[in-house]
Amino acid sequence: MTLPLATLSTLAWRNLWRNHRRTLIMLIAIAIGVWAMIFTAALSRGMTEQMVRNGLQTLPGEVQVHHRDYRRDPSVANSMAPPAGALLEALDQPPVKAWAARVRVPAVISSERGSRSVTLLGVDPAAEQALGSLPETIIEGRSLDLADDTGIVIGASLARRLETGLGKRVVIMSQDPDNDVAERGVRVVGLYRARLQGDEDRFVYAGRSLVQEMLGIGDAVSEIALTADDYRGVEGWYPQIAAAAGPELEVLPWTELDTFLGSILAVQDGFTLVFMVVVFLALSFGLVNTLVMAVFERVREIGLMQALGMRPGLILGQVMLESLYLLCLGLLLGNLLAVATIMPLESGIDISRVAQGMEMMGMSTILYPALHRFDMLMSTAVVIILGLLASIAPAWRASRLDPVTALNRD
Amino acid sequence: MWKRMAICLLGLCATAALAQEMTATDIIRKAMDHYRGLTSYSEMTMTIHRADWERSMTIQAWTEGEKRTLVRVVEPKKDAGNGTLSVDGNMWTYTPKINRVIKIPSSMMSQSWMGSDFSNKDVSKDTNIIDQYDHSLLEQYEKDGHQVYVIQSIPHEDAAVVWGKEILWVRDDWVLLEQQFWDQDGALMKTLKTLEIAPLGGRSVAVRMRMANQDKPEEWTELHTLVADFDVELPANSFTLSNLRNPRE
Repeated sequence: MTLPLATLSTLAWRNLWRNHRRTLIMLIAIAIGVWAMIFTAALSRGMTEQMVRNGLQTLPGEVQVHHRDYRRDPSVANSMAPPAGALLEALDQPPVKAWAARVRVPAVISSERGSRSVTLLGVDPAAEQALGSLPETIIEGRSLDLADDTGIVIGASLARRLETGLGKRVVIMSQDPDNDVAERGVRVVGLYRARLQGDEDRFVYAGRSLVQEMLGIGDAVSEIALTADDYRGVEGWYPQIAAAAGPELEVLPWTELDTFLGSILAVQDGFTLVFMVVVFLALSFGLVNTLVMAVFERVREIGLMQALGMRPGLILGQVMLESLYLLCLGLLLGNLLAVATIMPLESGIDISRVAQGMEMMGMSTILYPALHRFDMLMSTAVVIILGLLASIAPAWRASRLDPVTALNRD
Repeated sequence: MWKRMAICLLGLCATAALAQEMTATDIIRKAMDHYRGLTSYSEMTMTIHRADWERSMTIQAWTEGEKRTLVRVVEPKKDAGNGTLSVDGNMWTYTPKINRVIKIPSSMMSQSWMGSDFSNKDVSKDTNIIDQYDHSLLEQYEKDGHQVYVIQSIPHEDAAVVWGKEILWVRDDWVLLEQQFWDQDGALMKTLKTLEIAPLGGRSVAVRMRMANQDKPEEWTELHTLVADFDVELPANSFTLSNLRNPRE
C-alpha cells in the first residue's frame, strides 16, 4: 500500500506544529543562521569588490599595454610610441569604453624642506577623465586642464609632508633615457584627496607633454590603460587587444597586472562557502536535537502507525519532510531578513573609526555590502543539503522502531 | 677749487658708469668666475659640525669652466680616495673600499654630500644660478674700502630650484660675502657666509665659508681653503670616470 504524498505532507506539516514553541525557536535559529551567512557574505563581498574597484582605479584600467620590458624595469627607457594603426583601431571601438596613454616614471619631488620619491604620471586629463583614473576630489586649486598643462597636482598628504602648498614651486626630478638627470621646477596648481593616504603620497599628476618634454622622449608613452567596464569578463575580451598590439608590446589584464587583486575574487567564493558551512555546523546541533526530540515524543504513535501497516520508508520520509519544511521556512525567513537588512545599508556603512587598519588592506573607510543572488543560492543549497543529511539519523531511527516495543512504551 | 670739484664730479660719473655697465647678472658671473677661474685647483678642510660631534676632512678639488668639478678626499685615512666627479649636472662617486664608480641617481641629488650641509646638487650645480635665475641689484654700499653689491636672484618659473629667492652679497673684487637661501614664504632657510678673506693664488679668496641651516644653529659645515691656484694647466682627462677611479698625479 502506498500512502499518497499529499497525506504524508499533511502529516508532516501538522506534526511540525504540534509543539509550535519548539518549532518556532528552531525556525528563528535557522533564520538567524541563514541571515548571518548572507549578511557576512554580503559584507565581505562588498569589501572585496571595493578593493578590486579601488585597485582598478589606481592600476588603472582593466587592461594595460606596456613595452615588453616596462614591468620588469619601469624606467623611461622602456617606453613605447603612442598607439597607432591596428592598436589604435582596437582601442577606439567596442568593447573598449575608454583608454588613456600616459607617461609613468619614478621621480623625486622636492620642496625647500623635503624631498620624497613618487610616481610621476604624465596624463592627458580628458582621456583620464573618461577612464576615471584622475583623483576625484580636488580639495584646493584646480585639476589639470590639458595635456600641456604646466602645473602639477599633488596629494594633500604629500604637500603636508613636503611642507609645501598650493601655488608653490617644487622641483621634479627623474632620469632621461640616457640615465641623465632630468628635472624642472613646476608650480603646484591643485591638491587632491584620495581614498587611500598611500596613494596621496605616491602619485603626482602632471600634463603629459610637460613630462615628455622634461624627459626628452618626444611623444612616447609608458603605459596605455583601458577599460570596458567589465572587469569580471576581462579574460574574454582582452586577447583581441593583445592581438592588435602585436608581439612587441605586452598586454595584460588586471588579474595578472595585480595578482593579489586577481586572486581576491577566487578566494572570496571559497571563503564564503567555508564560512557558511561553519555557521551551519553550529545550527545542525539544534536541528538534529529538535528532530530527535520530535521522534522520541512520538515513539508510541510511530509504533501504532507501523502496526497499522505503515512502511518504514514512509516514516523516514515523513520525518525528512518535517525537517525539509522547517529548513525551507527558516530559509525563507532568513533570506527575507537578509534582504531587508542589507538593502538599506547598500549606500554604505561608515567605519572610519577603524579606518587605519582598513587602509592597510587597500580598502576604504566606507563599507558597501553587496547582496548577490549567488550568495543567497549558495546559503540555501548549503542549508538544505547539510540539513537533510543531518536529519537522516533521527529519521532512520524512527523508521527502525520495533512496533511491539514501541507500542508498549509508557 | 673748481678743479677739485671737477675731479670729484668726474669720479662720481665714473662710478655711476661702472655700476650701469655691470648688470646684476654680470656681477654674479664675475663672482662665480672669480672663485672657480677658467680652471682651478684647491685644497681645503671641510668641517662638519653637529650638536654632539664634529669631524673634519681634507679634500682636493679641481674645476674647469662652469660645469666640471672633481673632488677627492685626502684625509682622514678611512675616507681617503673617496671622490666625486660632476660633469654637466650629472654626478658620480667613487669609493675605493668597494672599488666602484656609482652614478648618483636623480633621487639622491638633493641629499647631503658626504654628510655635510651641502647637497649633491649644491656641489654639482653651483653655477646654475647664473642662467636659471633673474638677478636684480637691490643695493650697493661701501664697506672697508670696497663696494658691496646686494643682489636678489629669483629662480625662473621652470628652474629646477626649490628656493623662493637667493640673496647674494658680492664685493667689488668679486669675493662672495654671503649667500642666503629663502623659501617661497619669505623665510630664511640656509646661509653660506664668508668668515675670512685672504689673498690666495694671486687673488682675494673667501678662505673660510660656513653653510648653516637657519632652523638648526648647532649644525653647520665649514670650508677652509688652504691652497688655491687659478687658471692652472689641467690634463685633458681630468674630468673623466677613469680619472675619478685611478687618480693620476
